[in-house]
Amino acid sequence: MNSPEPSLETAAESSSQSQESLAVGTPDVAPVEIQPVDGAPIALSPEPDASMQEYYQLQEQLLKLTLILTGAIFIPVWIFYSLNIALNYLLGACTGVVYLRMLARNVAQLGRQRKQLGSSRLAILIGVIIVASQLHDLKIMPIFLGFLTYKAAIIFYMLQTTILPDSQ
Amino acid sequence: MNPTVAAASVLAAALAVGLGAIGPGIGQGNAAGRAVEGIARQPEAEGKIRGTLLLSLAFMEALTIYGLVVALVLLFANPFS
Repeated sequence: MNSPEPSLETAAESSSQSQESLAVGTPDVAPVEIQPVDGAPIALSPEPDASMQEYYQLQEQLLKLTLILTGAIFIPVWIFYSLNIALNYLLGACTGVVYLRMLARNVAQLGRQRKQLGSSRLAILIGVIIVASQLHDLKIMPIFLGFLTYKAAIIFYMLQTTILPDSQ
Repeated sequence: MNPTVAAASVLAAALAVGLGAIGPGIGQGNAAGRAVEGIARQPEAEGKIRGTLLLSLAFMEALTIYGLVVALVLLFANPFS
């Protein structure tokens, strides 16, 4: 990996170290010389780079995995508990999918249209939990566990890329 | 509901969200800032950096969500009432 030249002026050594660790896997990429100043905004080009295809692919893969896991868990829940609980789980899983999409969109816009990550996506979960607590047909636990399906998909993806890196 | 239980629940909900959001907030801010700096330095690695950021943010935000759910349960479906 081409590490930054010693003469390259950086705002802090720690920042360059963290960037090196983020750029693992891009051995032939030469670093662009910039001189960031603490507190000054860093302007990115307004148009997404071609390397963003990799990001969109990851996003799509995570959404697909979440939907597959949702379907795979929905049926056993229906069999072992009831249709009502399974539908509650499905509601939570759909909320999780929407949440993951919003998070992915926020990350894609970070540094371009947005300067900071918002937390508006949490409002979806808050709304669903409040509605579930007010209605007798809805249960909080299946909805919350359904919401966490996206996390299971991420863990699955991480394990897959760690154990079988050539499978992608 | 017993007023003591109600007051304790409201305080516990506030603490759950407030304290639970401090760590992830700092972590997310650091991660996002470093990622944008990294993209500015190496635009060619943008997809990889943003992908790593997405995965790490998804894990970090879970801590806030746990606190949030505990707080919402205490406020709207209190098991001690």
